[in-house]
Amino acid sequence: MRWIKLHEPVKVPIFKNVMYAIKLVWEADKKLLIGYFVTEISNKVLSMYVQNILFLKVLLSIIDGDADFNTYFKYLLLFFGTYLTVNVISAYAERTRLISAKVVLKEVNNKIFEKATSLDVSCYENPEFYDKYQRATLVLSSSYYDLICWDVAAVVGGVIALICVIATVTVINPLYLLFLLPVTLVFAVEILKSKAVYKRDLEMTTNNRIKAYIQRTMFLKEYSKDMRTSNIFAVLIKRFKAAIDANVVILKNYGVKLFIYSMLSSLLSDFIPIIGTYAFAGYQFIFTKALSISSFSVVLSSINSVRDSTLSIAEAFDEMSQMALFFQNLRDFFDYEPKITDGGKDAEEFQSLEFKNVTFKYPDTIKVILKDVSFKINKGETIAIVGVNGAGKSTLVKLLLRFYDPDEGEILYNGINVKEYNVNSLRNAFATVFQDYKNFAVSVNENIMCHECNDDEKKLAEEALKRSGVWEKISSLPKGADTVLTREFEIDGAGLSGGENQKVSAARLFARDFQIAILDEPSSALDPIAEYKMYENLIDVTKDKTVVYISHRLSSAVLSDRIIVLGNGTILESGSHQELMAQNGEYSKMFTLQASSYKGESEVAENV
Amino acid sequence: MFKKKQKEKTLHSMPSNIFFFIKLLFSVSPWLVLGEFMWGLLMILPNNLIKVIGVKYIIDVVTEGTDLERIFYAVIVIGLVLVLSTVFSWLFREFYWNMEREKLYYGLNKKLYDKARSLDLESYDNPEFYNNFILTIESSSGNIQNLLGLVRMYVGHIISLVTVSSVLLTIDPWCLVIILVVICVFLPISKRVGSLMMERRIDNAKYHRRADYFQRVFYLQDYAKEVRMNNISPLLIDRYNDAADDVINNQKRYWDKISALNCTQKVGVQGLGFMFILPLYLGYCVLIKGDLSAGDFVATFNGAHAVAMSFQFLTIWALARFSEQAKMIDKYREFLNADFKIKNGGEKAPKTEPKEIVIKNLSFTYPNNDKPTLEDINLTIKPYEKIALVGYNGAGKTTLTNLLLRLYDATEGEILIDGENIKNATADSHRDRFAAVFQDFQIFSCTLGENVALDVNPDEERVWDALKHSGFNKELKNGIDTELLREFDDEGVMFSGGEAQKTAIARAFYKDCPYVILDEPSANLDPVAEYNLNQAMIEAADKKTVVFISHRLSTTVNADRIYVMENGRIIESGSHSELMELNGTYAYMFNLQAEKYKTE
Repeated sequence: MRWIKLHEPVKVPIFKNVMYAIKLVWEADKKLLIGYFVTEISNKVLSMYVQNILFLKVLLSIIDGDADFNTYFKYLLLFFGTYLTVNVISAYAERTRLISAKVVLKEVNNKIFEKATSLDVSCYENPEFYDKYQRATLVLSSSYYDLICWDVAAVVGGVIALICVIATVTVINPLYLLFLLPVTLVFAVEILKSKAVYKRDLEMTTNNRIKAYIQRTMFLKEYSKDMRTSNIFAVLIKRFKAAIDANVVILKNYGVKLFIYSMLSSLLSDFIPIIGTYAFAGYQFIFTKALSISSFSVVLSSINSVRDSTLSIAEAFDEMSQMALFFQNLRDFFDYEPKITDGGKDAEEFQSLEFKNVTFKYPDTIKVILKDVSFKINKGETIAIVGVNGAGKSTLVKLLLRFYDPDEGEILYNGINVKEYNVNSLRNAFATVFQDYKNFAVSVNENIMCHECNDDEKKLAEEALKRSGVWEKISSLPKGADTVLTREFEIDGAGLSGGENQKVSAARLFARDFQIAILDEPSSALDPIAEYKMYENLIDVTKDKTVVYISHRLSSAVLSDRIIVLGNGTILESGSHQELMAQNGEYSKMFTLQASSYKGESEVAENV
Repeated sequence: MFKKKQKEKTLHSMPSNIFFFIKLLFSVSPWLVLGEFMWGLLMILPNNLIKVIGVKYIIDVVTEGTDLERIFYAVIVIGLVLVLSTVFSWLFREFYWNMEREKLYYGLNKKLYDKARSLDLESYDNPEFYNNFILTIESSSGNIQNLLGLVRMYVGHIISLVTVSSVLLTIDPWCLVIILVVICVFLPISKRVGSLMMERRIDNAKYHRRADYFQRVFYLQDYAKEVRMNNISPLLIDRYNDAADDVINNQKRYWDKISALNCTQKVGVQGLGFMFILPLYLGYCVLIKGDLSAGDFVATFNGAHAVAMSFQFLTIWALARFSEQAKMIDKYREFLNADFKIKNGGEKAPKTEPKEIVIKNLSFTYPNNDKPTLEDINLTIKPYEKIALVGYNGAGKTTLTNLLLRLYDATEGEILIDGENIKNATADSHRDRFAAVFQDFQIFSCTLGENVALDVNPDEERVWDALKHSGFNKELKNGIDTELLREFDDEGVMFSGGEAQKTAIARAFYKDCPYVILDEPSANLDPVAEYNLNQAMIEAADKKTVVFISHRLSTTVNADRIYVMENGRIIESGSHSELMELNGTYAYMFNLQAEKYKTE
C-alpha cells in the first residue's frame, strides 16, 4: 500500500469527500471517470470471472459431457472473440483516461490559481492555513485525483466480479460458500490492519521528518559550507540515529498486533477456503459422489478470484478513505472566503493617505504590532519610515496595501476608507519594491511589464533596466531582454545574481506609471556604489511623486520631507531630519550612532 | 540537456551493479538479505504447487476411483505446507524485516552522508555531478526497498518457474513448448513497451518541470505579495496552460502507441495463446487422441498461468526494473567513488594562538569558467589583526575567504600559515582553526546551543557568553535547549532575520580558534545592533585574527587594514586614513555613504 504522509489524525466525512472529488473531476473532464469504469469493470470481470472460472467451467463440462471436438472449437472461438473485443475497447478506454488525467490536472489547477489569487496574503503567512493549502495541492501534485477515481472504479469492478463468482459457486453447491464467504471478512481485517499501520506511520511522522530534514541538509548547497567548517555534521548524525532508533522501537511495538492481523487475514483468505474446499470436496468424492471433476476445479479456481477481488476492494476502499482527507483540505481551500472584501469604488488619482488611530496585531498572536498609529501623507511628499528590527515598518506597508485590515482605526485613501475601494484598483495605485523581491521565470521584459510585450513596451522596459543599472548585464545575455530568468527548464535561460535580480525587480517600478511608490529596503543586496546609483535613480523617477521609503540606513532618510520613527508599534517621533536631530530623541540617537564612524573620518577626507 | 533517446552510459554493467549493491546490503545486514530470499520462495512456490500438483493428484485419484482415502492425506499435506509457509513469512515480515530495514537505511545513508561531507565544494558547482548526487541521496531509501523486493520476487519466480515447468514437462512436453513459444513471440512487444514508457517518463518530466514551476508560483508564499501587487497572474496562467497542453499532447503521443501495443500483447499471450491455442491442443488430446486425463487438463491449464507469470516477470518486468535500478546504483557507485581535488596533507594543523597568514601570488578560476575570479593576490595578515575586505558585488571577496578555508584550492599561488602551506595539513584540522560566519549562514533545526556551538554537547556558559557578545537578548523558556525552526517540532522557535544573524555571529565568538571570518555580518541588523556588533568585534579581536567582508563602510573604519578588491584584484590597501588620503575607490565609496551623515 502506498505510504502517505499525514500530520494529524482528523475525522472527515469520507463519503461526502469522495462525492466531492468525483464531482470535481467529472466537471473538469468526464472522460477520466468513464475511462476508469470501462477498464476496471472489464478487466476485473474478464480476469477474475471469465478467464479464471467461466472458461474452465465451460470447457470442462464439454469434456465431461463427451461432446465432439467441433462444439469445443466453436466455444473456444466464441471466448476468444469476446476476449478480443473487450480488450480492444478497454485499451481505447485506457488511452482516453490517461490523456484525460492530464486534462483534469490542467482544469483543476486553473481553478486553484483563480482561487489562490483571491486569497488574502494573511493566508500565506498563517502556518496552519498554509500547511493545509500545501496539502490540498497534493491532490494534484501527487495525482490523488486520479487515484480516487481508480479506487471508486476498482471497488465497483471488484464487487461485480465477486457477485459473478459467488453466483457460479452457488449453482454448483451453496455449501461451498461456507468456506468462500469468510474470505470477504478479510475486508474488515485489512481495514483494521491498515488502520494500525496508519497509526504506526503517524507515530513515526516526526522521526521521518527528521530523517528527511537531515537528508536535505546533507545535499543542499546552502548548508555545504557550514557542514565543512564546523562539527554540525556530528550533531545532525546524532539526531538522525536517534530518529532511526525511535522508529525501530515503534515498529517493534506494533509487531505483535500486525502479526495477528496478518495471520488472521491469511486464515480467512487461505487456510479456511483452501483446506475447507479440499476437505469438503474430498468428502463428496469419497462418500456422496455428488461432485464432478469440472465443478471441483471451478470451486478451487474461485477461491483465488474471491480472495483477489476482496483484497483489491479492501485496498481501494482504504486508499479512498485516505484520499478523502486530502480532498477535505481542498474543499476547505475552495470554501475559504477572503476576509479582505472588495469595495466597489475605483481608486482615483492619489491625493492623500491617512492612518487614523490604527491598531493591529496578527491573527492568533498576542503581540500588538501597531498601537494607535496616526499620520497623514500628502501628494508629492517623500516619507521615510525608520525604526529598529521588528518595530512594525513592514506591517505598516501590508496594511496600506490591504494585505491585512487593521483591527481598530481606519486607513483613508483620498479621505475615503480603503475598504470601500476595489482591491485591485487600490493596489494598482501603488508601485512597490519589496525587501523579499521575487522575479518570475518569464522573460526579463515580461518581468518588468507583467504581460507579453510589443516592441514599444520592450523599449520602455529597456529604459527602466538602464535606470536600475542592470541593462549592461541584461543586454549581454544570449537573448537580451527576451531571456527567460531561469535555467530550471529553459536551456537558454539565465540566472542572475542577488544584486542583479533586485535591480530587475526595481526596474518594474521605473517602467510603471504610478502615483505612489512604496520602497521596502530596495537596496539591501547591493554594493555601496550600486546602492548609491539606485537611490539616485529612485529620487529621479519619484521627483514629483509620493514616496514611502523604509530603511535601516538612516542616510536615506536625510533627504525625505518627513521621517516617521516607529518603535514598539507606536510613532515615537516624526518630522524632518533637521527637526528630529534638534529634538535629540530616538532618531537623533540612532543617527549619531550610525554616523559616528563615518563622521569622524569624513573630516579627514574633507581635509585632503 | 534533453536530447531525445539519449543513451545513458553507465560505468559498470547491470549485473555488476546489482551484485555490488546486494553485496553492500549483505555487508550491512546479511540476515535481511538471506531472509528476503526465503520469503520470496515462500510467497510464490507453495500456492503454485498446490494449484498444479495438488489439484492433479486429487483429480487423478478420483478418476482412478481406488484408494480414495489418499485424498485426505493430500489435504493434510496441503494444509501443513500452507500453515508453515504463512506463519514463517509473517513472523519474518512483522518481527524482523520492518525493523531491520530501518537499520539498513541508517547504515547505507550514513555511508552516503560521510561521503557527502567530504566532497569538494566544487562538486556543488558542477550541475551534472550535483544532480547525480541529489538523485543518489534521494533515491537511496527507495533503492533498498525496490531492489530487495525485486530480488525477493526474482528468487521466488525462478524457483517457481523451474518447479512448475518440470511438472508440466512430465504431463506433456508439447504444452510447455506451446506456452513458451507464445510468450517468446510476443516478448519483443513488451520490450518495446518498456522502452516507450521510459522515453515517455523522460519527456514528461521535461514538460512537467515547466508546468510545475508556474504551479509553484501560485502555491508558494514567496510570490504571494508580488503576484498581488503586479497584474502578472494572467501571463503566468497563460504560460501554465501552454505547458499543461504540452503535457497533454505528450501523453497522447505516447499512449496511442503504448495502449495499442499493450492490447496486442495481452490479446496475443492471454487470449490467443492461453484461451485458444493451448486449450485447443489440450482439447485435441483429451477428446480426439484421448491420452490426457482431466486432471492433466486442469493442471496444465493452471500451470500455464503460473509459468507465463513467472516467465514474463523474469524476462520483461524484472529486467526493465533491474536495469532501472542498475542505473541508480551506478550513480551511487560513482558517487561513493568520487575523487577529491582537495587532498589531505599529512599533518594535523596545530591549534595555536594566531600566527601570520601569508597569501602569495594567489589566482583562482572557478571550474568551467574562463575568467579568473582572483588574480595574483598578495597579502599578509599579522596575528591579531582586524582585516576588512571591501569592493563591488562579484569582486572576489567571498572567494578569497573560501580559499582561506580550503573549500577550494587555488589555481596558482599558495597560502601559508606560520610559514607552512595550508595544503600540508589535513583539511579538517585546517578548517578547525577557523570560525566562519557566511553571508548565507543557515540556522539548523537543532537546539539553540547546538546552533551556536555547531557541535554536540555545547557548553552552556560559553554559549550564553557568545550570544551576549553578538547582542542576542531574546528571552527563551528552555534556554539553550530551545529547539529552533519548525521543521519537525511544532514548538520550535522561529527567529527573525536579525536574531538569526546574531545567533550565527555568536558561532564565531563561541568557537575556540585563532582565526575568524565574517562575511557581511551586519546585513540584517538595525543600526543599534550593528553598532553593538562592531564594538563586540573589536573586543574579540584582542584574542583573535579577524577577516571580515562588508558593504557598510562604517564598519571598516576601525580595521587595521582594508583591502579594496575589484575584478579579482586588490586595487588598494591600507588603513582607513591611508586610503582616504589616497583618495581612490575606497574614498569614493566611503564618501558616497558618508555624505548623507554629514548634513548637519
